[in-house]
Amino acid sequence: MINRKLILFFFILVALAQLYVPAKMIFDREDVLATGTEYKFKIAPIDPSDPFRGKYITLNYVNNTIDVEDNQFWTDRETVYVTFFTYDDGFAGINNISKEKPSNTQDFLKTKLRLTNPDILDRFVKLVIDLPFDRFYMEEFKANDAEQAYSKSLQDTSKVTYALVMIKNGAAVLKDVLIDGVSIEEIVRLEQLNKN
Amino acid sequence: MKILKDIDELRYAGIITNQEAFKIREYYAEKAELSKDRLFIVFGILGAILVGLGIILIIAHNWDELSKITKTSFAFLPLLIGQILCGFTLIKKQDSVVWRESATTFLFFAVGAVLSLVSQIYNIPGNLGSFMLLWMLLCLPLIYIMRSSVASLLYLIGITYYACETGYWSFHSSETYFYWLLLLGALPHYYLLFMKRPGSNFMIFHNWIIPLSIVISLGTLADNTAGLMYISYFSLFGMFCIIGNSLFFEFQNTLNNAYKIVGSLGTIGLLLALSFDWFWTDLRTGDFLYSFSIGSPEFLAALILTILALVLIFFQQSELDIMETVFFFFIPIFYLGLFTLFSAVLINAFVLVIGIFKIMEGVKNDHLGIVNYGLLIITALIVCRFFDADLSFILRGILFVLVGVGFFATNYRMLKKRKTND
Repeated sequence: MINRKLILFFFILVALAQLYVPAKMIFDREDVLATGTEYKFKIAPIDPSDPFRGKYITLNYVNNTIDVEDNQFWTDRETVYVTFFTYDDGFAGINNISKEKPSNTQDFLKTKLRLTNPDILDRFVKLVIDLPFDRFYMEEFKANDAEQAYSKSLQDTSKVTYALVMIKNGAAVLKDVLIDGVSIEEIVRLEQLNKN
Repeated sequence: MKILKDIDELRYAGIITNQEAFKIREYYAEKAELSKDRLFIVFGILGAILVGLGIILIIAHNWDELSKITKTSFAFLPLLIGQILCGFTLIKKQDSVVWRESATTFLFFAVGAVLSLVSQIYNIPGNLGSFMLLWMLLCLPLIYIMRSSVASLLYLIGITYYACETGYWSFHSSETYFYWLLLLGALPHYYLLFMKRPGSNFMIFHNWIIPLSIVISLGTLADNTAGLMYISYFSLFGMFCIIGNSLFFEFQNTLNNAYKIVGSLGTIGLLLALSFDWFWTDLRTGDFLYSFSIGSPEFLAALILTILALVLIFFQQSELDIMETVFFFFIPIFYLGLFTLFSAVLINAFVLVIGIFKIMEGVKNDHLGIVNYGLLIITALIVCRFFDADLSFILRGILFVLVGVGFFATNYRMLKKRKTND
C-alpha cells in the first residue's frame, strides 16, 4: 500500500513537471511581450514544412552582421550577448556584441554567432549573428498564400517587409510579420476573401 | 476448436480420464482468455497512438481564428486528460496492462502536443533537438511509474531521433553524447522485462529497437578520425552476434533474434563495403594518421566496444561462431591498411572464408537457410568484385554460372539427403 502511495506521489510530481515546463515557456514569453523592448527587423522569408509543428515561414534577416576587430578571438558557434540600436528609418541594427552578459541593461539578446571569414591575416572579422526568432507560424492553409504575398512584396521594391520582435533579458519573442505596416495574416485574409 | 470436440470422444474411448479431460478444457479456456487480453492490449495501444497523433495533426493546423488563450487552453486539454487517465489507472486499474499501456501512450503524445503547440503559438525558434530532448525527459519517468513498455519503446525511438538530429542533421556539438545517458535511462526497464517477462512480445520489440537504435546512433560519434568508427562498428556487431548466440536466444525463433540478425548482416555489409579498394586508398592517403588522437571519441568508442566484446567472448558458454570473431581480426587488418593495400585482399579472403564456413555449418546441421546464407555471402562478394575488377565478360559470366550451379547443386543435394533420411 505504501508502495502504491509512493508511486502515486511520484506520478503527481511528474505530472506537475509536465504542466510546469510548457507553462513556464508561456509565462517567460508573455513577460517579454509585456515588458520587453520592441524592434523592427528587415526580413526575407521562404516556406518549408516541419512535420512536428505545422506550417510556418522561415525568416532571413538583412542586418544581422557586424564587423569587429578580432582581438577577442571569436570562435564559431559561441554564445554571445547582443545589443541593438534603431536606424533613422526605424529598423534595427546590431549595436554591440560581447562575451559577457551586460549588467547595466535588460535590453539584450543571448544568441550564437557564426564566423564567415576566419582569415588570420584579417584585422577585422565579419560576425554573423544568429537571430533566433526565425519562424513565424501561420495557419496551415494560409502559409502558402503568405509566401506568395511575400514574394510579391519582394518584387515591388517600394514595399518593406519586417518582423516585429520584443527583446528582454536575453530572450526574444516574434510578435508579427508585416508588409508595409500591415500584418501578413491580415494581407492573406483579405486576399483569400477577394479570391472567394 | 477441433481438439475440444475430440475430448469427449477420447474420454468415451477410455484414452483419457475425466480429470484429464477437465484439465485440457481448463488449459484451452485460459489460453483463449490470454489471447483475448493480448488483442485488447494491441487495440488499446493502437487506438491511443492514433488519437495522440491525430491531436498533434489537428493542433498543427494552427487555428488563427482562436485567441491565444483559447489555443493555449486547448493545448493543455489533452495533457490533462492523459494525466487523469494515468492517475485513474494507477489508483483503480494498476494491474491491467491494457489500461496502463493505452493511458501512458496517450499521455506520451499529449506531452509532445502541448510542447509543440506552445512553440507554435509563441513562434519559439525551431530547434528540433531541444524539443525532442525536453519531450523525452518529461516522459522518461512514465516508463517506470506506469510500468509501460510502449512508453519505453516510444522513448527509445524518440532518443534515436534526437541523436540523429543533433549528430547527423545539424552542426556537430557535445549535445550528441546526451543520447548515451538517455539510453541508460531506459535500460533498467529492459532488464526488468528480461527478468520478469523474457518471452513476451514487448521483450521481442525491445530486442529489435535497442540494437537498431545503438547502430544508428553510434555513427554520431564520428568526428575527425571517422575511419576508427569501422573498428567500433565491427566490435558492436561482434557483440550483437555473441549476444544473439547466447543461451537466452538459442531456442528462439530466428526472426525474434534481432541481435543475431543485426550483428550478422551488419558484419557482412561492412566487410563487403571494405572489400573495395577506395576505403583503403583513402585511409592511406587521407589525413587519418595526422588527426588520430587517443582522446578522440572514435578511439574511446572503439576501445570500449572492443573490450566489451572480448569480455562477452570470455564468458560465452556456447561454441564460437566465425561471425563473432571478425571484429578481433579486423583490428590488425585495419592497422595493416594504414601502410598497404593488401588489407583489401585480406577482407575479400575473409568474406569468402565466412561464406564457406556458413555453407559447411548449414550442411552439418542440415539447415537450408544457413547454407543459402553462405551462398548469398559469396554471391554478394562476386557481385561487388564485378564493379571494380577488370575481368572479361566471359570470366564474369562463367563465375556467375558457377555460383548459380552451386546454389542448385547444394540445395538439391540437401533436399535429396532429407528425403532418403525420411
